[in-house]
Amino acid sequence: MELNTKFMKETFFIVMKAIPVTLEITIFTMIISMVLGFALSLKKIGRKKNHLVNFYVSFVRGTPIVLQILFFYSLLPTLLNYILNIVLKLNIKIFDINPIFYALAVFVMNTTAVLSEVFRASLLSIGQGQMEAALAVGLTPWQAMRRIIIPQSLTSALPNICNTTVNVLKSTSLAYMMTVQDIMAVAKKQAAFGYNYIEAYLVVLVWYIILCTVIQLIFRVTEIKVAQYKQGKRVKVLKIQGLRRFSYAGIKERAQVVWR
Amino acid sequence: MLELKNVHKSFGDNEILKGVDLSVNKGDIIVILGPSGSGKTTLLRSINFLERADEGTIDFGDIHTSLVKAGKKDVYRIRKKTGFVFQNYNLFANKTALENITEGLIYAHNYSKDEAREKALKALRLVGLEDRADYYPSQLSGGQQQRVGIARAIAPEPEVVLFDEPTSALDPELVGEVLNVMKDLAKSGITMIVVTHEMSFAESVANEVIFMDGGVVVEKGTPKEIFSRPKDPRTELFLRRIIRKDYDYVI
Repeated sequence: MELNTKFMKETFFIVMKAIPVTLEITIFTMIISMVLGFALSLKKIGRKKNHLVNFYVSFVRGTPIVLQILFFYSLLPTLLNYILNIVLKLNIKIFDINPIFYALAVFVMNTTAVLSEVFRASLLSIGQGQMEAALAVGLTPWQAMRRIIIPQSLTSALPNICNTTVNVLKSTSLAYMMTVQDIMAVAKKQAAFGYNYIEAYLVVLVWYIILCTVIQLIFRVTEIKVAQYKQGKRVKVLKIQGLRRFSYAGIKERAQVVWR
Repeated sequence: MLELKNVHKSFGDNEILKGVDLSVNKGDIIVILGPSGSGKTTLLRSINFLERADEGTIDFGDIHTSLVKAGKKDVYRIRKKTGFVFQNYNLFANKTALENITEGLIYAHNYSKDEAREKALKALRLVGLEDRADYYPSQLSGGQQQRVGIARAIAPEPEVVLFDEPTSALDPELVGEVLNVMKDLAKSGITMIVVTHEMSFAESVANEVIFMDGGVVVEKGTPKEIFSRPKDPRTELFLRRIIRKDYDYVI
């Protein structure tokens, strides 16, 4: 058995062109889910128990994402078509909608549930005293949330948000089932011409490692920057020259402690 | 200036306050004493609505309202007229010492950033921590954190500062620095209501001592009256235990 390296090189660059699709799904999913997830987490820490929220979270957690994708991809277009065109008679071409939106819908649904738990835990980790102190100095509950509680809880949630992002990025490889042309789908298509599946999968594998590593690095740098108050140091990340220095150790080496 | 009447509060079946009255004049240093569970802290917290009482009224300057049904507006006005010092400091962990103080000045009292900074630095100077302005709470000792807490409470020049056991979470050797700051404040004429177990502070600084037990005010008077001639046996027992360390049990 021999690897077709020429094919791999070609595929590497062809697959690269599909990265924007993968990243788009990941980034938009994260942005939308962060907002929704945070709102849900506020609902969860409230006194009233909301059964709908609980049901939703159990549903998402209790079913495989592959099943969710297949289910909603079969259900959503038909359902939308029925509601919009047959009931409301709007005459919209549902079946021409870019499948990327269906992918987004499924991933947002999934990630919102995960993030709502992440935020709930991080909000609970901030002591009641912080809120009381903020109220005592005269802030409104919303000001207290925005200026004191949310910044602290985001900081403690960052490692989990990073995890979730990486998970979403990896799950986007399932979007090919919805005919979304992400890196997985493109690679599979390339492989199909000459049955070079092993080579194609190797290439995708490398790409996922690269993407995930970059995401983790970005989060790590952010973490260091926003968690200054925890270490009790004012850390300034100095100019970063070269990729090696983009590592955690490199940043630590170069971090300068500035006492004003 | 500040008057609370008939304050009741229960947590579940547990009635913590059973009709407490409190009256404070400008410049008063009032120390509230009592065994734990007697409702001292709850009384203090219901003044600035950290705790909603079940019954009672508050008269504070030109505000006359119910402790139960007070609207948002009155609550915010009262909170701005009071400073609160917490037992476990409760400094904003994500803000420096200076920002801890400017936060309320800017966002609740509507000072400009520069004015707020100036006022905050002045307050830090009063507690002797001007050089720690840019430190985060995690970099400060307990005593320093509590002094920042005091600076945060006094910076907006509130009419009353409420102290909720400000030294009881501190290591013994750090209690002194906080008490000294409080003594200085008392001399400067600030009105203070202090819940504490520091008898020496009560004796030397207070002009009125209130002894609470079981959710009611048992006795009140000048420190001299309370400490040397307690009328109620409960007061006497409490003082004997705390001051004379006169425990009637054997280990």
